[in-house]
Amino acid sequence: MELSLLIALPLLGALVVGLLPKERTELVFPVALGVSILPLGVSLWIMVNFVSGESVFQFTEDYVLSETFGIGWRLGVDGISLWMIVLTGLLMTLSIAASKSITDRTKQYMVAMLVLEAGLLGVFLSLDLLLFFAFFEIVLVPMYLLIGIWGGENRAYASIKFVLFTAFGSIFLLVGIIVLAITAGDAVGAPTSFDFRTMLSLDLSSTTQLWLFLAFGVAFAIKVPIFPFHTWLPDAHTEAPTAGSVILAGVLLKMGAYGFLRFNLTFFPGASVDLAEIIGIIGVIGIIYGAAVAIVQPDVKRLVAYSSVSHMGFVMLGIFALTSQGLSGGVFVMISHGLTTGALFLLIGMIYERRHTRLIADYGGLAKVMPLYAGVFLFMAFASVGLPGLSGFVGEFAVLLGSYLTLPVLAIIAGSGVILAAVYLLWAYERMFTGPVTNPKNEGLSDLDFREIAILVPLIVIIIGIGIYPKPILDRIEPSVEIILDRIEATTDYEAPEFGRIDEIVDPRDVVIESAGHDDDTGEHGDEEGSE
Amino acid sequence: MNNASFLAVAPETVLLLGALLVIIAGVMLERSRAEWGFIAVLSFVVAMVLSVLQWRAVDTLVEEGSDLLFFSARNVPVLRIPMVVMDHYSAFAGFVIFTVGLLGLGAVWGLVKRVKTRGVELVTLILLAFAGLHMMTMSANIIMLFLGLETASIAFYVIAGFTREREESDEAAVKYFLLGSLASAIFVYGAAMLFAATGSTSFYGAGGMKDFFASTIIGEPGVLLLGIGFVIVGLGFKVSAAPFHQWAPDVYQGAPTGAVGFMAAGVKVAGFAALGRILIGALPSQIDNWAPILAILAGISMIIGTALAAVQGDVKRILAYSGVAHAGYIMMAFLAGEAGIGAMWFYVSMYALTLVGTFAIASVVSRNTPGRSDLDGWSGLSRRSPELAWAMLILLLAMGGIPFTAGFISKLTVFTAAADAGYLWLVILALLTTVVGLYVYFRVAAKMFLGSAEEDAPSLEPSTVLRLVLAVVVVGTIVFGVNPWPLLDLVREALPL
Repeated sequence: MELSLLIALPLLGALVVGLLPKERTELVFPVALGVSILPLGVSLWIMVNFVSGESVFQFTEDYVLSETFGIGWRLGVDGISLWMIVLTGLLMTLSIAASKSITDRTKQYMVAMLVLEAGLLGVFLSLDLLLFFAFFEIVLVPMYLLIGIWGGENRAYASIKFVLFTAFGSIFLLVGIIVLAITAGDAVGAPTSFDFRTMLSLDLSSTTQLWLFLAFGVAFAIKVPIFPFHTWLPDAHTEAPTAGSVILAGVLLKMGAYGFLRFNLTFFPGASVDLAEIIGIIGVIGIIYGAAVAIVQPDVKRLVAYSSVSHMGFVMLGIFALTSQGLSGGVFVMISHGLTTGALFLLIGMIYERRHTRLIADYGGLAKVMPLYAGVFLFMAFASVGLPGLSGFVGEFAVLLGSYLTLPVLAIIAGSGVILAAVYLLWAYERMFTGPVTNPKNEGLSDLDFREIAILVPLIVIIIGIGIYPKPILDRIEPSVEIILDRIEATTDYEAPEFGRIDEIVDPRDVVIESAGHDDDTGEHGDEEGSE
Repeated sequence: MNNASFLAVAPETVLLLGALLVIIAGVMLERSRAEWGFIAVLSFVVAMVLSVLQWRAVDTLVEEGSDLLFFSARNVPVLRIPMVVMDHYSAFAGFVIFTVGLLGLGAVWGLVKRVKTRGVELVTLILLAFAGLHMMTMSANIIMLFLGLETASIAFYVIAGFTREREESDEAAVKYFLLGSLASAIFVYGAAMLFAATGSTSFYGAGGMKDFFASTIIGEPGVLLLGIGFVIVGLGFKVSAAPFHQWAPDVYQGAPTGAVGFMAAGVKVAGFAALGRILIGALPSQIDNWAPILAILAGISMIIGTALAAVQGDVKRILAYSGVAHAGYIMMAFLAGEAGIGAMWFYVSMYALTLVGTFAIASVVSRNTPGRSDLDGWSGLSRRSPELAWAMLILLLAMGGIPFTAGFISKLTVFTAAADAGYLWLVILALLTTVVGLYVYFRVAAKMFLGSAEEDAPSLEPSTVLRLVLAVVVVGTIVFGVNPWPLLDLVREALPL
């Protein structure tokens, strides 16, 4: 029930906001903020009650909607999706809080935001492929409206580009899902079955796996986005209103990476192993390309947008390193990137509201005028770059470590991405904040006010907290990625290199691998480890 | 004759009686329009109820194992040719068609009021047309089907030219009439060839087409294939499948806007139902012959429909071309044979709802420019009338196949049916055109939400009747998008005999 509640709350909130009397416009913001806290609360409650160290889905719900078509309201949360929903709840509340400056059609704006939240939560919670697809697609509509109505100058172009790119990817996803559902239906004696668990038990041939991997992969690659499918991203992120950018970068991009983890790796392990290196290479291209292009951006929002391409490259490299560290690191980068990039977009939004320009050249010497703002910006820049002790470091280090085990050359090249990140962010900081105030328009700018501080403080606390003590998060991620790896090892010849799994000092498998060979069992994690 | 026989033709009887009453009322109560409207609404409602009763009656007949499903002059041995059939297929078709008729009447009510006493003709024509449409779906004989087709078509030709003081409306009527007649002629030609090939004009019964194929293998199917081909072309014209769609944009644009919705929707429902009756009811054994033709027509329709919709500057023409594409998608359902009938029903009935709704909105938005509905006129609709803009957005999303609207489930079921039948290439093509389709629909949405309204543009107030129609359509689109499963289970039963 908790998960259904989690999806229903923002929708009910949207209804409440939509039904507010027309003339009471001043009510819209506080009410929307208030209702957005509810799903955050539920997601935190789920986080607290989530049993750590378990790889199975928790809080599962399974309510059959159609026997004939094998469709059900199937929800569940594991160590990966747990963090995604917490991230969604948190960023959504913060970005609604940061939307005070929206004055045009506020009510419609808040409704769009809350519907968007419901869609995003649905994506991460669905254990039914049709449900997943439905949520995956519905996210487009509120996002389109957010960018299109409340976006920057070039919003019409950016919003339709965003829709067409993602919808184009979704075609292949839908074809893949239909084919998979028909195959799964044959297995259970129904026309179709969209049940995640039924699909998990399918034994697909390697050709089928390859085609389906590509079908799912294109959709997720566009969403991530992987180079060269990224061109919608800078436009959409730059033109979107602040809250839109925060959600786009913080949560929406994660839908793609999450799709790879949840579906591509689990359904098509053979194809994943075959294509791991290629996707790793593309990921590294993304890291370098995104960083290099970010360096030369004159527009600070666009700079951060391109840095997302770079960070998401790390996520992809981590995932397709196919090692425990890489996968956990990838998920951790997803969380950390959501926090730091979300914060950077919030900061840019705050300065944009004061100066109505995003060009780096228009600023300079802001540190003198807005010391607090400059401090927070520098902090976020460091967090994004991956300064040890902050959240960015944990994830990127784990990704580099994990990928070094299987794709050493790529790991080394990717390492340079960290340096490039320092270049583009710190150089931008230098140009915007240090030196004398060159532009007289910047002189009278006010520093952060209480509301803005209240929005940023939680992010700062969390970034430091999980940077210093990431164990609670990793403890929950690891079992979930382990089971994905185990399934890959069980169904293919691939053996993940054993290197310092955090929870195992001596791995019993090192001893038995030679004699046991790979396991033909369908990857029921846990039991076999004990028995071996 | 017995009760069941009466029931089989009861909806038509009610509609025809209703039409007569409306004429009489029109003569006697010259000034009052409410009465005609009341009679027409009542006729449609009774016809809908009768459809439900028909469905139930079929259940009992099937349980009893009775063969009373065909109705003919049974007592005269020579004439044992089934003319009319009552099955779940026709009953469901009836319910959908009469619902469209009822909603359509609401959508066109503004026009009825505007043309004053001539409104009585319009209402009569609508009742006649929908009686004809339903006849198409319940025929057990191809001649009977043709009669239904003509009854509906002739009424629609007149409705298309109803606002004859406008040149476009005249043009629309003439175009519709000429091309429609050509299509009818082609259809009859095909019917004749089917008769030549099978020796029967009936689909069912002893010696009927279905029976004929059960016992005979045709060595040289040339005439049969031509017959099938012509019949498909004839009905393809009616449902505006490419390449037989040329009339559609001009007619949609020229005809009175409120009326286009139910004309297009009604013809699509009945046309596809008739196609299903002939191909899957009578000629299921020939699926290997007709399925490829349909697949190619479907492919062409999708490509031409979406490509041309993308370049139109008039919302009515956009909807006309998108209708061509939708005809293509619906055709895909037939490729799966009987297994696709449910998908066809779901798609066509949901699409019919959205069509009535979109044209109803268009009739309000472009009230001042009859015959045209320039995209620019839609600019800033979300400020002029947020209700209309959001309703239109939901209907556009449904047409585009966005989840949580009925349009998504429609596409999903149709594509699944086609993929299951082995037409994966067509599914991929369909999905590609769907993306272009999204561009088409978002273009309209962008005008409504992102565009700015002219300074002096008045805010738009739809009438209460229209509001009611839109509420039904929008709520239906969402309800059947969120919980389509009961309906999907129902339409799986709505098979032709």
